[in-house]
Amino acid sequence: MNQLRWDPTLEEWVAYATHRQDRTFLPPAEYCPLDPTKPGGFPTEVPRESYDIVVFENKFPSFAPGAPEPDEGSPLTPAAAGRGICEVVLYSEDHYATLAGMSERRIRNLVEVWADRYAELGSVDFVEYVFIFENKGEAIGVTLHHPHGQIYAYPFVPPRPKRELEAARAYRSQHENRCLHCDLLSQEHEDGRRVVAKGEHFTAFVPFYAHFPYETHVYARRCVPSIARLSGEERWDLARVLKRLLVGYDRLFGFSLPYMMVMHQAPTDGENYEGVAHFHVEFYPPNRTAEKLKYLAGSETGAGAYIVDALPERTAETLREAVEGAAP
Amino acid sequence: MKKEREPKDDGRYIIFYTFEGEEDESFGEGSTS
Repeated sequence: MNQLRWDPTLEEWVAYATHRQDRTFLPPAEYCPLDPTKPGGFPTEVPRESYDIVVFENKFPSFAPGAPEPDEGSPLTPAAAGRGICEVVLYSEDHYATLAGMSERRIRNLVEVWADRYAELGSVDFVEYVFIFENKGEAIGVTLHHPHGQIYAYPFVPPRPKRELEAARAYRSQHENRCLHCDLLSQEHEDGRRVVAKGEHFTAFVPFYAHFPYETHVYARRCVPSIARLSGEERWDLARVLKRLLVGYDRLFGFSLPYMMVMHQAPTDGENYEGVAHFHVEFYPPNRTAEKLKYLAGSETGAGAYIVDALPERTAETLREAVEGAAP
Repeated sequence: MKKEREPKDDGRYIIFYTFEGEEDESFGEGSTS
């Protein structure tokens, strides 16, 4: 059952997907459903003995193309079919690999796949936002360790990107058509203290207003609305900067760092987002130290007000040292 | 980039992306392999 219910107090949809309670939870490595299917072995999600990069529809989707119309709801609290598409992206057939440990070439290939999925899913008539993301590590709540990401093709523009786009549109109208993200990036370049990695076409930095101690944003230098609009050279550079950042993350505390990785880009709802949407990747690692996690507790969850116990200038310095220490 | 889309037994789809002639090796710190 996939159903949307409208919260009129926050003016946002909440998605219900009750079948997800039954999804596979941290199986032993020999029974990983994301490994290739070996001769004589149990059938996994991938019916081949070997693969490069694979995408498939999630068996336990939060949204489904054929979701039925709900028989619940009222004018005050409407309900809608949870129509959408949920995909799983397998980065590698190597069960023990991580994105940080992959070659720049493989990450570049992954960028190609992400761009292809953005274009294809975004062309579906009921899809308004293609959200590419990865949850990594048990601290984030992953149920499968095999290196993979996910894509949610939402039937609406979700609240956080929507808020960001509204802010960018308002800024543009108040500042002679300037792009909010381009100006933020210029400020970070000028200041320099929060920049952790710079490539030819992408920059990674801890934003001035980071919500997590080691939150990092990876911005395209060029004002480009989506991953699909990146040039070949920009795709290579994105792979290089992601690789440097991820290796730095793993050096930070000496272990493979859990994180949420999300991509913000133009919705696919038919509106014009030139100069408003600016493609970028955001990372939210939950660790504030090697042993302590940042929890979204009372203030963050109930009030929406983040409290962070480390200044971005300080965490950026530590992270930059980890990134630079890892450079070849 | 080669892209092959196939139906799965339960009606879902699966897409195989293959990057021909491109050797790949995991390397660098951060690898758990």
